Amino acid sequence: MSYLELKDVNIGFGPMSDRTEVLQNINLSIEENEFLAIVGFSGSGKSTLINLMAGLLSPDSGTVTMDGEAVKEAGPERGVVFQNYSLLPWLTVAGNVELAVKQVFPKMSAKERKEHAEKYIDMVSLTPALWKRPSELSGGMRQRVSVARTLAIQPKVLIMDEPFSALDALTRANLQDELTDIWSKEKKTVVFITNDVDEAVLLADRIIPLTPGPMATLGPSFDVDLERPRDRAAINHNEKFKEIRNEITEYLITLKEDHKKVNSQENLYCPNIRPLDLRTTSK
Amino acid sequence: MKYKIIKALDLAGLSVFEPVVKLVTWDEPRVQVTKIFHFIVIPILAFLVFIGLWSVIAPNHKTKSGEVPTPNVVLDAWENILTFHDREYQKMEDFKLSGENRKKALEEVISRLSALKPIIEESNLHLEKMRAEQGQIVEEKVSPIQKEYDRRKEEVKNLQGQRKEKITTMAASIGPDDKPAKEELLSEIKKDSSLKIKERETLNAFKDRMNDARSYVHLPTKKAITDNSAIMAERQYLMKRQELLSEDNRNIKIAATKDDIDTYRSEYMAASGSTLLSKAKKVIRKEDSIKRIKGSSYAKPWTFLDQIWRSLACVFVGFAIAIAIAIPIGILCGLSKIFMAAMMPLISLFKPVSPIVWLPIVFIIVGGFIDDPDNAAVHPAFLSSAITVALCSLWPTLVNTALGVASIDKDYMNVAKVLKLGFWSRLFKIVIPSALPLMFAGLRISLGVGWMVLIAAELLSSSEGIGKYVWDMFNNGSSETFAQMFVVIFIVGIVGFLLDRIMIILQRSVSFEASASTL
Repeated sequence: MSYLELKDVNIGFGPMSDRTEVLQNINLSIEENEFLAIVGFSGSGKSTLINLMAGLLSPDSGTVTMDGEAVKEAGPERGVVFQNYSLLPWLTVAGNVELAVKQVFPKMSAKERKEHAEKYIDMVSLTPALWKRPSELSGGMRQRVSVARTLAIQPKVLIMDEPFSALDALTRANLQDELTDIWSKEKKTVVFITNDVDEAVLLADRIIPLTPGPMATLGPSFDVDLERPRDRAAINHNEKFKEIRNEITEYLITLKEDHKKVNSQENLYCPNIRPLDLRTTSK
Repeated sequence: MKYKIIKALDLAGLSVFEPVVKLVTWDEPRVQVTKIFHFIVIPILAFLVFIGLWSVIAPNHKTKSGEVPTPNVVLDAWENILTFHDREYQKMEDFKLSGENRKKALEEVISRLSALKPIIEESNLHLEKMRAEQGQIVEEKVSPIQKEYDRRKEEVKNLQGQRKEKITTMAASIGPDDKPAKEELLSEIKKDSSLKIKERETLNAFKDRMNDARSYVHLPTKKAITDNSAIMAERQYLMKRQELLSEDNRNIKIAATKDDIDTYRSEYMAASGSTLLSKAKKVIRKEDSIKRIKGSSYAKPWTFLDQIWRSLACVFVGFAIAIAIAIPIGILCGLSKIFMAAMMPLISLFKPVSPIVWLPIVFIIVGGFIDDPDNAAVHPAFLSSAITVALCSLWPTLVNTALGVASIDKDYMNVAKVLKLGFWSRLFKIVIPSALPLMFAGLRISLGVGWMVLIAAELLSSSEGIGKYVWDMFNNGSSETFAQMFVVIFIVGIVGFLLDRIMIILQRSVSFEASASTL
């Protein structure tokens, strides 16, 4: 039984005369409590896909449904972790999280709200930075606040848009572990968009590649039937891991090559031009 | 500690003084000394050069209010302003004093007055002496010129007489048909009148020289006059104090009136028949007057310092009106492109209008609402100055608020959508906070414009304040008031600078990205 479903979704931007079809024929169904990763090249329309799922954009044609109901606008039941954190810079870490909590759970008392926010801030190990402002935090810490804020509103679906792509490798590894940890504690439906195949294989139950845009569409789904918990160090030597990773990578590379072929059908004439040597001859 | 001071300096936009703090803590002293030289010593030198040029150039231009004042004169004028302020406040105090304090103050005044007596005499004598000296010097300078002038005048008179005689005899001897002789006569007359002009010019040159010699400034005399008038002013001030501490004192007056009432009352009680009514009236009249005296206070004129406070109050009232108009409209403009389009013609039309045009219009309109200006809660001149300030200063805030709201980061709006924030919480939790830094930048410009406009508005509306002070000083037209107008320039500049600094601090404190401009 699919929980979040996209059916025959098409979307494009621009006026009729100069239209870019970004996504075409998107059919996707996500099970409840599933961790789905979508991998794709940059510029293939991943963020557009996220916005569609979140309800920030509506499709030109096709339907987006969640739990059988059409998604018409954004709402806290689908929490989004944005690529560039989107923290409100004038609020502290606690302030950012509490603003979200207050909005989604208006009946909470001030004390409950504070405890609730602090629980999630603690979950991403940011308690020491409770009263700092985003400008005083590192990129990794900001992304954690963003995750805490989204988790705190207890969404049914957690949508993450390349959450770790702006971070250095060490911080990223750290946050990946934290995310798996949190996910194992609070089972949730997660849609995780990334351009890193290793990351996808490490985290997800299922991986779907997105073909390069424009007119991007979803490729075949790859199941990741690796045991959990997955150990980052050991998994690199796991044959199955390597297999899945190579399979997906190969698929993506062929896609890219096909795409290049499609785009350069004609053999362009290369003019035979060489630079003139204008140096004055000196001896 | 050191970093706290540096941070505070930076917050106040005074980071030029950062090297001083660093130098005190011996942090890269060479670098700091260079920085201090470049950014503190050189500006001070430039200011000194300005003062120097001013002192040299100013006395060369003579006006009907005397010479253009030099920095020294302006400084003296500032001191006189302060003295005047202190004295007026002292008088106001004196009027209210009672009991022992009054007696003590009165004794002081009297002893000072008697101490002043010999000084005044001495000063008068000295002044007379100096005047005589000056007269002698002038006489010495003038008399040779006068002699020469008299001699020349005599000479010219003789020459002119001779020429006149010649022409008259010539005219008498010419026959009716003697054309060449007639022509000659004409040219003779012409020559005579051109000679007359020349002679007059020479004589006038002598007169000018005499006038120059007479207006010779004998510095000791000038100083004696200044000193003498300062002493006389003090004497007058002390005499006034004496009055205010004795017969004109409020409590003395009250006591006297009370005594009167008592006598009238006993007279009234004793009276009967036809005089009864008139006695009763007398008692009632006195009882009324005691009330009036109790509520009275010394009619202190506005001192310059009072005017500064008044102007500050006026500019803040105007600024508050500007904020109340500009921010809501600015937010609406930023939120809705259609509203912005609707407002655009009005904004473009009214933005460039000068305060000189706004003021008379506002003055008339405000006057229409207030019938009795003297007893109104707010004086209409004050209100119209404030409204003029508002009308001229609201534009930067309006435009910046609109810009700040319109350029809000799309990510924040996405957050708001995901959280399903309502209109009001979206406005107060996302839109306004994110627009605040730009808003405050606009407010800072607005306050600067407002302060500039205010002086002109007060001058025109004669609302009490710095502007009116300038106008009064201009109309007074003495060399003293001319110098006081120069004082105003510096005060207006310094107050404006301080207002700007306050706004910078506010602007910094609301900006979440630490990069607000300093200058």
